[in-house]
Amino acid sequence: MTLIQCRGLTREYRKGDQVIRPLDALDLDVPRGDFLALMGPSGSGKTTLLNCIAGIDTPTSGSLTIDGTNLASLSRNALAAWRSTHVGYVFQLYNLVPVLTAYENVELPLLLHKLSRAQRHARVVQALERVGIADRHTHFPRQLSGGQEQRVAIARAIVTDPDIIVADEPTGDLDKPSAHAVMQLLQSLNKDSADGAQPKTIIMVTHDPKTTDYAKHTLHLDKGRLAEETTAAAHTPAPEEALA
Amino acid sequence: MNTLNCIPYILKQIARHRVRSLLTIAGIAIAMFLFTAVQAMNTGVTEATQARADDTTLIVYREDRYCPATSQLPQDYLARIQRVEGVASAVPIKVVVSNCRTSLDVVTFRGVPKDLWLEDTAGATGNNVTIIEGSAEDWLRRTDAALVGETLATRRNLKPGMTFDAAGITAYVAGIIRSDSTQDHNVAYTALEFVQLAGRDQLGIVTQFSVKVTDPALLDQVAKDIDALFATAQEPTATFTEKAFIGRVADDVIELVGFARWLGLGCLAAVLALVANAIILSVQSRIAEHAVLQTLGYSSRLVALLIIAEGIILATIGGLIGAAAALAIAHTSSLALSVEGTSIPIVASTSLLITGMLICATIGILAGLIPAYQASTRDIAACFRAA
Repeated sequence: MTLIQCRGLTREYRKGDQVIRPLDALDLDVPRGDFLALMGPSGSGKTTLLNCIAGIDTPTSGSLTIDGTNLASLSRNALAAWRSTHVGYVFQLYNLVPVLTAYENVELPLLLHKLSRAQRHARVVQALERVGIADRHTHFPRQLSGGQEQRVAIARAIVTDPDIIVADEPTGDLDKPSAHAVMQLLQSLNKDSADGAQPKTIIMVTHDPKTTDYAKHTLHLDKGRLAEETTAAAHTPAPEEALA
Repeated sequence: MNTLNCIPYILKQIARHRVRSLLTIAGIAIAMFLFTAVQAMNTGVTEATQARADDTTLIVYREDRYCPATSQLPQDYLARIQRVEGVASAVPIKVVVSNCRTSLDVVTFRGVPKDLWLEDTAGATGNNVTIIEGSAEDWLRRTDAALVGETLATRRNLKPGMTFDAAGITAYVAGIIRSDSTQDHNVAYTALEFVQLAGRDQLGIVTQFSVKVTDPALLDQVAKDIDALFATAQEPTATFTEKAFIGRVADDVIELVGFARWLGLGCLAAVLALVANAIILSVQSRIAEHAVLQTLGYSSRLVALLIIAEGIILATIGGLIGAAAALAIAHTSSLALSVEGTSIPIVASTSLLITGMLICATIGILAGLIPAYQASTRDIAACFRAA
């Protein structure tokens, strides 16, 4: 069942006299529960596509429908409300709020929802436990390692239980063991979990071919168009072979 | 969307950017301290000089004189003034001041016929004078006894039974008075003869007459009648309403205080600049953070509100500290601007504190508007590209 459908998706912007077109009439279907890796050279449109799917960038033309909702039809505020419930975003540089603790960072998206303090607490603790960082909940980002920061960022992305997680080079700033742990975590989120959380549809931008081993599909973009699609039997590489 | 949930987030932003917040708050507090002090003086000027519909007091002074040392009127004018139609009562007063110049700590002695003064203050048009410490009996019994205004007593730490020296006069404190009239707050009432004999023999000479009229509508007419009565006398008079008299005598001080209003406005401009600077710097350093908030689902309106709320909180805390400090100092030091025997109080009221905080909150909103608009309308994806 298709969750994300792009038809003729085009994104243009001007830089001086030049018109730059990171996405050029792209057609794409992403089924629910997929783990999709997007690869391609710099400027191929990977991050732009990711941002369009996350609702933080707006296509110039074409349509982008997610779970039956045409994102172009939503106002800026409606789009924000849609993001708060449907998408979790994992950044390459984590983008945690530096003056907030790990717990407070994870709680941030929940402040928008009508939840009691106790309900928020339960969900934050659950998310932190899921990413294995509950014991560091009082730490500030500067007191955490890169891998730990990325775990907190993933906890922040999943705490509202969104359908989709978009990740922009989530291992780009991590050493190999931390990158392996983060990829394993994303892979686990893509599967049914013991705590009853629904499997997440994950779309990940990466430059590293090794990280695509964790994904179900890999799409190669070039000049804003699909260049190649690879379907792999997703598996979890052993630590010694992972990201080697 | 529960905006109230986000208040702790704003407070954490302020508390955990400690140095920036403290410096901003300190700057605002200093500016608001100055603003409140200027406003307290302004309020005092207004209170001392603005005519009210129920004013009934006239001051009869020597024509073309501005100083109590040179305004010398025969005490026997009293009987003729009392006979003027519309006059309810009249009290001759001999004024001696410890300092003819403008000062924050002037002691003004007002020598009055004690029985007449007590009768006058107790009447329907009196100033509602209450003896809050000591007794009238003690005052009536001793020639050197003084009833001291509450502000003067606080400033000089005077208590009943003590003696004090000022303007070459040693007086005994028989009581401390509280009065509706600001002119009573900063003076010491003594026997008329006691002040007339102090320094040099001026028995029979007074500085002014304080006249109460039966109806506020008669003020101007009675003033004209009194001046007409003495127009051809050797010592002609000039009669004014009490507020106009203060406005005339303390003209220089009032002008200075009026000019200080610009200083007050400058302080407000400084607060606006400080808060705006703090908010702009804060927003510029948090472009990516605001983009993250919007990515998490915070609407642009909510992000704008968070920024404005931060400005309001910073400005209000600084305003509260500055205004409260100014009011506390004004209240505890009991200072008053005195000139030529008249007194302009420095009015430290709670309403001034509330006004100061409301102004600060408004400034907080104004200072946050542009940065909030900019932050909330930025292209989210572009913010990440720039970061």
